Amino acid sequence: MSSVPTAHDRALSALYADHHGWLLGWLRRRLGNGWDAADLAQDTFVRLLLAPDGTPEKQRGWQLDEPRAYLTLIAKRLLANLHRRRALEQAYLETLAQLPAPLAPSPEQRALLLEALQQIDAALDGLSAPVRTTFLLAQLEGLGYAAIAARLSLSERTIKRYMVQAMARCIVHMP
Amino acid sequence: MSAEPLDEAVALRAAEWFFLLQSGDATEADRQRCARWRAAHPSHALAWERAQRVGQAFAQLPPGVALPVLGRARRRTAVRALALLLVAAPAGWLAVRQTPARDWLADHRTTTGERQALALADGTQLQLDTASAVDIEFDSAQRLIRLRSGAIHIQTAPDAQVPPRPLRVATAQGTLQALGTRFTVRQEAGHALVAVFEGAVQARPAAAGVGALVLQAGQQVRITRGQAGPTQPVAPQADSWTRGVLHVRDMPLRDFVAELGRYRPGVLRCDPAVAGLRISGVFQLRDTMAVLDSLPQALPVAVAYRSPYWVVVTAPDS
Repeated sequence: MSSVPTAHDRALSALYADHHGWLLGWLRRRLGNGWDAADLAQDTFVRLLLAPDGTPEKQRGWQLDEPRAYLTLIAKRLLANLHRRRALEQAYLETLAQLPAPLAPSPEQRALLLEALQQIDAALDGLSAPVRTTFLLAQLEGLGYAAIAARLSLSERTIKRYMVQAMARCIVHMP
Repeated sequence: MSAEPLDEAVALRAAEWFFLLQSGDATEADRQRCARWRAAHPSHALAWERAQRVGQAFAQLPPGVALPVLGRARRRTAVRALALLLVAAPAGWLAVRQTPARDWLADHRTTTGERQALALADGTQLQLDTASAVDIEFDSAQRLIRLRSGAIHIQTAPDAQVPPRPLRVATAQGTLQALGTRFTVRQEAGHALVAVFEGAVQARPAAAGVGALVLQAGQQVRITRGQAGPTQPVAPQADSWTRGVLHVRDMPLRDFVAELGRYRPGVLRCDPAVAGLRISGVFQLRDTMAVLDSLPQALPVAVAYRSPYWVVVTAPDS
C-alpha cells in the first residue's frame, strides 16, 4: 500500500467526515449501547476501505447518490452478523452449562472452541436448512449417507449432492 | 479472511474429490486422477488443502457441544429441522465420545508446536509432544493414562501405594503396561507406536483373544486392534523430541518433512522429486522456520512459501 492518498482514499475520507456521526447515531438507536455501535460504525467504513476492486460503488469512486442508504445497507449486514454471533455464543454457553462438570472445558479451551464454532457457522451461513443439517449430521455425528437420507426422508443421491455443496461452501469461506 | 479467493466451480470439484476419496470406494485410478487434477492448477491444490482443513476443523469439535450449538444458533427453519432431530436422537447424545473431538476436553493437551512436561501424582514424569492430548485416571486399582492423540514420553516412578498399582497407557488400539521403565507412545490414525528405552513394556491389543507382547529396552512395535508386532529395533534418538530437538540420521527427506510438519501449524509438503534425498542432523523444534531455511544449505532443494502456513520443499529450479 502506498502512503500517498489516492482518489479512493480521499472519497472515503469525505464520506467518513460527512456521515460517520450520523451512522453512529443510527446504530446506537438500534443496539441500545454505545460500544457495539461504535465498533459497527467503524467496521462499516473498514468494509468500504477493503472493498474488492470489482465493487460497482468503488469503480464509481464512491460517488454515491444515496450515501446514507448505502451505509445502512452495509451496517445492517454487520448487525445481522453480530446478532448471529451473539446467538451462537448464547447457545454455546447453555450447552456447556448442561455438560457434566468433569467434561467441562477449561476457559482457554472454551474460547478456542467458540472461535472454531463461529468460523464454521459463518462459513455455513446462507446454506439451506436441509443442506446444513445434512452436513452437520455427517461431519459431527458421523452418520452415513443412508442414515441421513432416512432421517430427512430424502434420497441418498440428494444427500451426496448436499454434502458436496456444503463442503464447497466451506472451502470458499473458511480461512 | 482468506487471502486467495477460490472459484466456486473449483471448490465444488474439490469437494467431490474429497468425498470420493474419503468414501473408501475410490480405486487407484481415481486417486491418480485426483492427483492429476490437483497438479493441474494451483487453485486446485489450494481447494484440496482447504477441504482437508475443513475436515480437520470438524474432527476437532466435540459433537456433543458442536451439534446443539450449530443447530440451535439458527433463527430460520434449520433450527426446527435440527431441533427435531435432536429430540429424536438416542439417549447419551450429549456424551462426548471417544473421538479426536475428546481432545478439546482432555485433561492435558498441547497445541501444534507446543510441548509440555508434567509430574504426575505418583512421581511419574510425563511429556506431551506436539498436538497431543491425554486424560489421567488414577484410582485405587491402577494408574491409567489415556492417550487421546499425539505422542507421549513416560518415565515411570515406583508406586508408593501397597500393593503398587500398575501403570497403564490406553490407546485406541490397545493397552500398554509399564514394567519399571522409560518409553514413548505415539497415536497414529490406525495404529499406535510404542518404543521402549529402559525396562520393559507389555503391549496388549484391544481385540479379545489376542495375546500380549512384552517389549524389552531398544525394541519398538506397531499395535493395531488385532495385532502387536513384529518388534523392530528402536531408531537411535527416536526420543530426541523430549529434548526439544529432532535428531535424525540418513532419514529420507519425505519422512523428515512429515516429522517436522507435526510441529508446525498449516501445511508442509515435500515434492516427490526430492523426497528420496537423505538428511542427517540435529534440528531445533522450537523454530521450524529456521530449520526450513537451513535446508537449501544442506541439500539440493528450495523452500517455497505460498503463505507462512503453506510451505513446499521442492527441487531448486521448480
